[in-house]
Amino acid sequence: MSALDELLAHPGLWRGREADTSVATPVRSSGFAQLDAALRGGWPRGQLTELIGGPFGSGETRMLLPVLTACTREQRRVVLISPPATPWIPGWRQLGVNPALVLMIRATTGDDVVWSCEQMLRQPGTGALLAWLRDPNTTLLRRLRLAAGSGDACVFLYRQPSASQQPSPAQLRIRWQGTTDHLRLEVIKHTGGWLPQSRSIMIAQDIPCHHSESGHPGSA
Amino acid sequence: MTTEPGDKTPRHLGAGPATGKSDAQLSLLPPVVAATASRELHPGSRLKPIPAPASAIVHKPEPLSGQPLWIAVWLPHLALDSLVQTGTAPPGPLIVVDDAARPRVHDGNRAARRAGIQPGMALADALAMLNTPIIVDYVPETMRQHLQALATVLLQFSDHVCPEPGQQRVLLEIGRSLRLFKGLEALEKRIMRTLRQLGYSPRIGCARTPAMARLLARLGHPERPRDRDSLRRVLTPLPLTALPLATGDLAVLRGIGLTRVGELLRLPRGDLALRYGNRLPTLLDHLLGDSPEVIPRFQPPDLPFFHLEFDQEVSSTGALRFPLKRLLQQLEQALRARHRSVQGLELQLLHREATTALSLERSHPGSRTEEWLELWSIRLSRVRLPAPVRGMRLQVARLLPLAGATSGLFGSAEGAADETGFLTRLRARLGDDAIARFVPTLNPLPEQAQEEYPPEEISSTVLATTTPAQRVVGAALWLQPIQPCPTPRGHGWLGRLEGGWWSNGNDQRRDYALARDHQGRRCWVFRDLRSGQWYTQGFWG
Repeated sequence: MSALDELLAHPGLWRGREADTSVATPVRSSGFAQLDAALRGGWPRGQLTELIGGPFGSGETRMLLPVLTACTREQRRVVLISPPATPWIPGWRQLGVNPALVLMIRATTGDDVVWSCEQMLRQPGTGALLAWLRDPNTTLLRRLRLAAGSGDACVFLYRQPSASQQPSPAQLRIRWQGTTDHLRLEVIKHTGGWLPQSRSIMIAQDIPCHHSESGHPGSA
Repeated sequence: MTTEPGDKTPRHLGAGPATGKSDAQLSLLPPVVAATASRELHPGSRLKPIPAPASAIVHKPEPLSGQPLWIAVWLPHLALDSLVQTGTAPPGPLIVVDDAARPRVHDGNRAARRAGIQPGMALADALAMLNTPIIVDYVPETMRQHLQALATVLLQFSDHVCPEPGQQRVLLEIGRSLRLFKGLEALEKRIMRTLRQLGYSPRIGCARTPAMARLLARLGHPERPRDRDSLRRVLTPLPLTALPLATGDLAVLRGIGLTRVGELLRLPRGDLALRYGNRLPTLLDHLLGDSPEVIPRFQPPDLPFFHLEFDQEVSSTGALRFPLKRLLQQLEQALRARHRSVQGLELQLLHREATTALSLERSHPGSRTEEWLELWSIRLSRVRLPAPVRGMRLQVARLLPLAGATSGLFGSAEGAADETGFLTRLRARLGDDAIARFVPTLNPLPEQAQEEYPPEEISSTVLATTTPAQRVVGAALWLQPIQPCPTPRGHGWLGRLEGGWWSNGNDQRRDYALARDHQGRRCWVFRDLRSGQWYTQGFWG
């Protein structure tokens, strides 16, 4: 019995059933119960998360809003690095993000993007970092992973749909796709544990429309 | 202090009565009067030499703090020092040559001097002694600029500084600074350290009179005479050649049988002036402080600039780092001297025919070399040199008052400084408008509902609240330039916006909607109520 305990205490031995409790990666709740369960608590902090999919604007930014509002509530900044469009801050604020803490950085080359990420992640006040990068090579991705480990921010990297076929050093990789009223997520890599049983997670997208297409706002 | 004056003591004392006689023709200084008076109290003292300590006790020492004290900083190898600063000086013999009709050697580095090169030698002779030396032209104007930069640096030790370009020397009055810098020895060490850090090899002389300080600096003399008697004592054993005399004067004095300065001091100065003109007595008066020498005050240029010429052309930006560090160090010292700080710097890279001008602006003022060097390294790594660089010039755009370290008691200011630091780094590499924050305005039109600002200009408080009109159009996340689009198939209405009627010709009536395009994107669109045309405004996100 004691021999077994001794064996179980060996750090080189990993037991699948205990994966979610033994490794204590700090996380930030994603705001969706189903997603939290699949991610073992929420979005990992200090790790690189890849969000693979397209096209831009299908709800993949809105999905992260619970994390972003939580960050700005803690007075930590949200950094957007070379997004494909300009953030519309009045909208962000309606959803609870403090505009004064949103910082946008325009970088053109992949090297500049990763360098900016490194600079921002080294700052203690950074809560979440969202970067858009077209065709990163393995070196850049490895630098990003290292940079993510230097702080405790949630680092999200948006990549093209084709990237799901390529290997990547990121700790967490998620493929996303927009459907009519949902965003479907699929965890394709998660270091330090099993992939969840039901790999597909549906996140409902609230549509704040008052009327159907036949109606008219002015006539209401 | 050293053994040298000690073994000359009998000689000095033996000359005592004679010097008293020559001084009698001039106005006697109080200490000397006191000395003669005390000697008359002891009748034997005129015949017997008084031991040196006794005279020191009889003389009441003058209060030393507050009376003028001069330091002369002599840079015998200024031309070489400026080459070392560029970091490009190659090994092997190197000589600096006066650019004249008959070129002469101005100075040589250690390798050249070991081979027997002496300043003043004809270039042809030097070439006969050295195997392929590197020859650099001596440019007096560059030396003058160097000396001015140096004077600017030395202003931190005194307000009365005077560069003497012809002699490669800077004079500074430090009598009033002594207490501040904790004594003469500490101050001298500090001046030496400062100058050595900047890449100069100075020699320092210090005395009560500027003329004597010059002399001691040139001789490398360790004495620091601070009253008239010790001035005289130090001067007496020196050979006549130590005095800055014209060769003609020297020959005349030799002709009448003089070899030491002490012998010259014993001569009545009135007769000296009658025979040989005023030059000689004036020099002696200046040396002993009997008549004051007027030293002009150096006025630093309004905006300091620092200039460096390379002896070899530099074609990679990495190699510019070392000389730039020197310039930044000079800048830091000069700014410290003026209690000023800078926020922006301009750097000119001088090519053979053109100039590359670079400028760098920081979010907060500062003068530390390391900070600026890091920023410039980032900036320079982004520069493609159009041609090899021959020199560089660092300029200050504007001097700012030194910010006091009183910004905050509990940490909050620290975080802010840190923040501006990384913003500055980002801007140095990515460009001035690469970083932005957005501030909501009260304008209901979404494309005008926010303004972009540099991040530092925004306080962390929310500046304006969301207006109901802004809520009507929904909480979209991404904005794009407005583009016409075909009528979307399936869409849900968000709200109607009527606005802009108050500003001329910008009256807008729009119905906002959310539509899904053929790629699955959720687009933020509106229909113009007048024309019926649909436009995309952005993405729901």
